[in-house]
Amino acid sequence: MDEEKQVSRRGFLSRTIWAIGGLITAGFGIPAIAYIIGPALQRDAAQNLIRLGAASKVELGIPTLFKVTVQRKTGWIVNEEELSIYVRTDDGRNFTAMSNVCTHLGCRVRWVADRKEFFCPCHNGVFDKDGNVISGPPPRPLNRYEVKVENGQLSIVGG
Amino acid sequence: MTRVANWLDERLAWRRVWEAIFLRRVPKVNWFYTLGSATLFVALNQIVTGILLTIYYVPTPDHAYDSVQYITTEVPAGWLIRGLHHWGASALIVLVVLHMLRVILGGAYKYPREITWMTGVVLLIVSLGFGFTGYLLPWDQKAYWATTVGTRIAGTAPVIGDSMLRILRGGEDLTAVTLARFFGVHVWILPVALLTLIGIHLYLVIRIGISAVPKRKE
Repeated sequence: MDEEKQVSRRGFLSRTIWAIGGLITAGFGIPAIAYIIGPALQRDAAQNLIRLGAASKVELGIPTLFKVTVQRKTGWIVNEEELSIYVRTDDGRNFTAMSNVCTHLGCRVRWVADRKEFFCPCHNGVFDKDGNVISGPPPRPLNRYEVKVENGQLSIVGG
Repeated sequence: MTRVANWLDERLAWRRVWEAIFLRRVPKVNWFYTLGSATLFVALNQIVTGILLTIYYVPTPDHAYDSVQYITTEVPAGWLIRGLHHWGASALIVLVVLHMLRVILGGAYKYPREITWMTGVVLLIVSLGFGFTGYLLPWDQKAYWATTVGTRIAGTAPVIGDSMLRILRGGEDLTAVTLARFFGVHVWILPVALLTLIGIHLYLVIRIGISAVPKRKE
């Protein structure tokens, strides 16, 4: 603003009105943006311990399927969701837990015992016993879960 | 900036529109003459916050209450948006009535402003309609029983009472049908009526100009 120029009464009032209008717009606009994008920013924060079952059920070297029901809250609706987890161990002490969701487009993979591979029927994705991609379109290995063993009971961390 | 404004003005003549709306000559009046603008401002608040609420609100008996709780407790600034809409609703009714009183006491409804007055009266009814339909939408106990009573009051009218009650409720009882139609009326029918009437009302205010404070001699 030019300091030499005298601010007229009219100019001052007009500027004040614009400033107040700007404040009101910001007062509505900022909460409105937070309100609209809010749920999109929330990650699944639930890092619960999900109990799978007895560790003794896992045969050495063979991925074993565990099915558990978890509660998942989307918005105001609580849904029961079934999680299927393959758990594998070579020594009965160290366990690997893998999701059965194909990393390509989300179909369910299954363990083919005689070929010792995970196979996804949708687009012929093939994973080895550790979930690494052998062939087909999947871009990365099967998702892993952190495993905890307590008193012979297997649990995974996640949601 | 000025060049863009000039370019647009050549084509849209927006400066004339701007002058007609905001640089009108007005008689020397008092603060009671701001009640109409105050009402308009609160109406804008209701429109903005109301549109935002529909982003999460679901008008069915199994989701209405939970979605309102979700807005209030979990969505960022949801409490603020809902609060503004809730309190704005009451403020709007108060302001509309005060605005009407000023018009009555100042005699501003007289020639040549009869149409402004008539659209204003319909706007008052539309505002009350907003209040009545909006009150049901949170679908809590207060909403349910207030609407039970409200629709039954309509039912006490002679001859047409029973059909009015049935039309309002969409059947014999207050059900999912009632909630859905109250929502539809609240977010579609009444807003269209409101905007149309405000358009006429404001056009007339600008075209005729506002009335002066009545003088002792007149």
